[in-house]
Order: sequence, then structure tokens, then C-alpha cells
Amino acid sequence: MQVLEQRPRTITSVLRGDPQRRPLPDRQVAAGLRAQLEDGIFSLWPNEPREPVTVRASAFTLNPTSTEGTSTGQFRGLLLNQLLRLLAMGVTISDPFANAIEAWRSEDAASPLLAQVDQLDAEDLARLRADVQSHFTTLERNLGPLPASWEPRSAVRAYQRLAGGQVILRDTIDLSLGTTTSERASVVLIDVTTSPLGASAERIMRYHALVQTLRTGVAPLRSAAFSSATAELWVLDVTNELLQRGVDDVLHVLSKVATA
Amino acid sequence: MTTLLHRRITPRALGELISHAPVDTVTLTDEHLTSFAARLRGVSTIDHRRLDAWAVERAAQPIDAFHWTPQTAKRALAGAALRRGGPEGNVLDAVRQEIATHLERATAGWARPGSLSWWLANSSEVVRSVTAAEASASALQLREVALLIPGDVQVASTDAYYDVPGARTSLRGRRDLVVTTPTGRVVLRVRGGAPGKSAGPGLRADLFIDAASDPLHRSAQRIIGLWPDAGVMLSVDGTMSDLRAGARDLVRSAVVRRAQQSKLAA
Repeated sequence: MQVLEQRPRTITSVLRGDPQRRPLPDRQVAAGLRAQLEDGIFSLWPNEPREPVTVRASAFTLNPTSTEGTSTGQFRGLLLNQLLRLLAMGVTISDPFANAIEAWRSEDAASPLLAQVDQLDAEDLARLRADVQSHFTTLERNLGPLPASWEPRSAVRAYQRLAGGQVILRDTIDLSLGTTTSERASVVLIDVTTSPLGASAERIMRYHALVQTLRTGVAPLRSAAFSSATAELWVLDVTNELLQRGVDDVLHVLSKVATA
Repeated sequence: MTTLLHRRITPRALGELISHAPVDTVTLTDEHLTSFAARLRGVSTIDHRRLDAWAVERAAQPIDAFHWTPQTAKRALAGAALRRGGPEGNVLDAVRQEIATHLERATAGWARPGSLSWWLANSSEVVRSVTAAEASASALQLREVALLIPGDVQVASTDAYYDVPGARTSLRGRRDLVVTTPTGRVVLRVRGGAPGKSAGPGLRADLFIDAASDPLHRSAQRIIGLWPDAGVMLSVDGTMSDLRAGARDLVRSAVVRRAQQSKLAA
């Protein structure tokens, strides 16, 4: 694993790397991973789970110091994701908080979380505004330019059914670059978090890579996590070993559900 | 007997679904269409109604009134951007140009209230950017599907529309890509999320509407519904039994909708 502490060149330049040194896309690995997951689930539930079990990236968050679970942390994360979408489109953002709220409202005006933000008192609102501004500054400074030719996609959703539809893997990737149809592997997945990176970040990176591989049938090139709290960037090259560990992580989460 | 097939999206599986599509296609006769119109006329309606695969899939649940959002605007913009930019073009730039064209149309006074151009012109830069993000992601997904297909594939210029004579009903069938084969055509429809239990009936409804809107009322050889978020695809052949099932489901959805409206009125 390549760990870059503080001040990477820019996130995108590190992730894309040298085009000539990228490997060929692995189009064979997905079927094997799916079979392993199916076998693992069968050993946990020989007759399939009675109720559908849904696994999300949040199932891998075990960092006790994380503030993502709290309301403020959740609002901040959601607002920063909206700003990431705008940055990926090359928008000049003048007022991060107002722009993020506007983007969020345009997508999901009926969101109960948005209603909660509207009900915050002046003090909490000011704190959230300052928080978002500070995280946005870190993100904008480190992200770097995103040329349209890199085909940025934000909030990429994935939904995989296993065990006859009784186990569902759901995922949303904050930012994806590249395409599965290129001659060389070029897809990089970026998870942006407002918490410091911990052990769970690595599991989430593996989960993103695994679900993306199952969804598209092509293993991505890299999976990364960026913390707007510490400006740390973690990058993992997606290998067979990493995907195997992703399978183990998912089966570990499912085994906890099965024994609960 | 249904011809519904379920496959994972891979270049090989998609190629086989297209190349192995049935060669013999069926044609809806005037009798078929007259009988269909008579059945819909039997389901009275005060307002003009519009039926589509979504109405079939959600027949028992009320459908919210349509309004523009980045999610509802993305499909129209994505298809237009792909036609503008071509398969090798820069998708994001094409989406931006498409939005600029809509704004020009609105500025020139050609956009009627409620249209996409009108909505875009009355939205802020931030909302237009979120719309561009959604549309470019959708266009990239559509292009990735198109690149998996060997042969002559085109982005559909419009959805399929058919106005049922005397029944105050118009049908709209979704189609995103059309593959022209030596013996006919294969229609592809790309949707977000994952297919539900009624995805098959929805696909058959689109098959029927596509055939009804064809100038010669010839059915497509096969219709393929792709759900790239879930990595799966379903297909239905253009057989008479599938066309009949599609027509029946459209009539049923009109009946259920009328029953709901009567309940609300009571």
C-alpha cells in the first residue's frame, strides 16, 4: 500500500499515474469472486437467510473516534459530497455551504436530513457552515483539476444481489474516474470522508473495489480514500489479493449477522 | 409462454443476445390495434392519459406528478449529448453544449413553460451543474453499453410514441439504443437501480409500444433491458404472445389507475 502523508501532489495525478505503466484490465476475476461469495454465504445460511440482508460500506466503519455517525458529521459528509460533484464538473464555488445546500435540495428536496439542517439553530448552523468551508478548502486544494477526458462520475451507485437475492451489496462511490472499456485498466475509485482515515477506511476501499468488480465485470485500477479532515490520501492498487480480502471482509460482516 | 431471459452484463452475453435474436418478427395488424384501442376506450378517462412501462411496473401505486429535477432531466440530455458527440467524443463537453443549446432556445423564446429548456433556464448555475453531472454519468454509462455491442448501434433519436385512436391515451415506450440487424432491429433500454419483480412486464409493454409506433407496426426482434448499476440485463423476444402480454398489461394499468382515481374522487 502506498501511503501519502499530508500534501499529496494532487489526488488525481497520484491516482491516474503514468498511463503507459497501467496493466491490462482484468476481466476474468469477477466470476470467481462471485462464486466465492456465494459459497461463503451458503456455508453461513444453507437455506438462504429468511430476511434479505443488505451490506453497505458503513458496515465496515468501526472507528470509534469517527464523527460520521453523528448528525453534524453526517450533514458535513453529505454536503462535502455535493461539493465534490460540483468540483468534478469544474464549477467555481463561491459559497461552499450555500452551494452545497442548493445542490442537495435540487436532488432530494424531500430529504428528512435536509429538513433537519433547515431546523438547526443559528449557532449550530454557523458551526456547520464553518466546518463545511474548512473541509471544502482542504478538498479543493488537494483534488487538482479533473479533465473531462478522464470521465469523472460522482455518486456512482452499485447494487449486487447474491444468494438468490437474499443478500444485497449496496455501494455508492463518491467519485470514479476512467472507463471499463479502455485498453488499459483506468478506473480509479475515490472515497472522500470528513473523518480521519483509520483501519475501516482500508476495508471500505476494498469493498468499493469488490462491488465495482462484481458490477462491471472488470477490476478497477486503484481504490483510494481521502480525508478532508487531515488531507491524508490512501491509495491501494487493486490486485487479486485485495479483492480476496474484500470477499473475506464481506463474509465477516455477514457471519456477524448470521450469528446475531 | 414467456421468452424472458436474465443474464449478467458481459460483452459476450450481450453480443449473443443480439446476434441470436429471433430472425422471424411479427407484425401488428389493424385488427390487433383496433381491438387494443377498443379495450382502452372501455376504460373511460376525463383527462388525456399517458401510459408507459413505468405505469405497468407500478400499477398499484400512485405515481407522483412529473417535475424536472437533475435525475429526471439526465436521460434526455444524455441521449442528446451522445448523438451530438458521437461514440469517440468528449461526453462532458457534449452535455455542456446540449445544456447551452437548451438555454439558447429559452432565451430566444422558443421554450414553452414546463419544458426542459424552460426549467434549465430558470435554474441556478449550481442546479445546472448537478444536472450536467447526472447527465454525463448517464451518457458515459450508455456509451459503455454501446461500446460492448458489435455492429451497427445507434442512440435512439426519440422514445417510441403511439397515440391510441379515440381512447384519449398516448403510449410512450423507452428506448435508448437501437441495433440494426440484417433482418430487423434489437432495441435496448438502460435503467438505473436494479430490476424489480415487474421488470419483465415493463419490458413487454415497451416492446408493444415500440411495435405500435413502428410505421409498419413490425415488432423488434428482441428488446433488452439493461440495469448497469446491478450489472444485469433482461430480454424479451418480439413474439406475438409477448406483444399480447404487453398490451394486456397496459390495459390493466389503465384500469387500476381509473380505480384509484375513482377511490380518490369518492
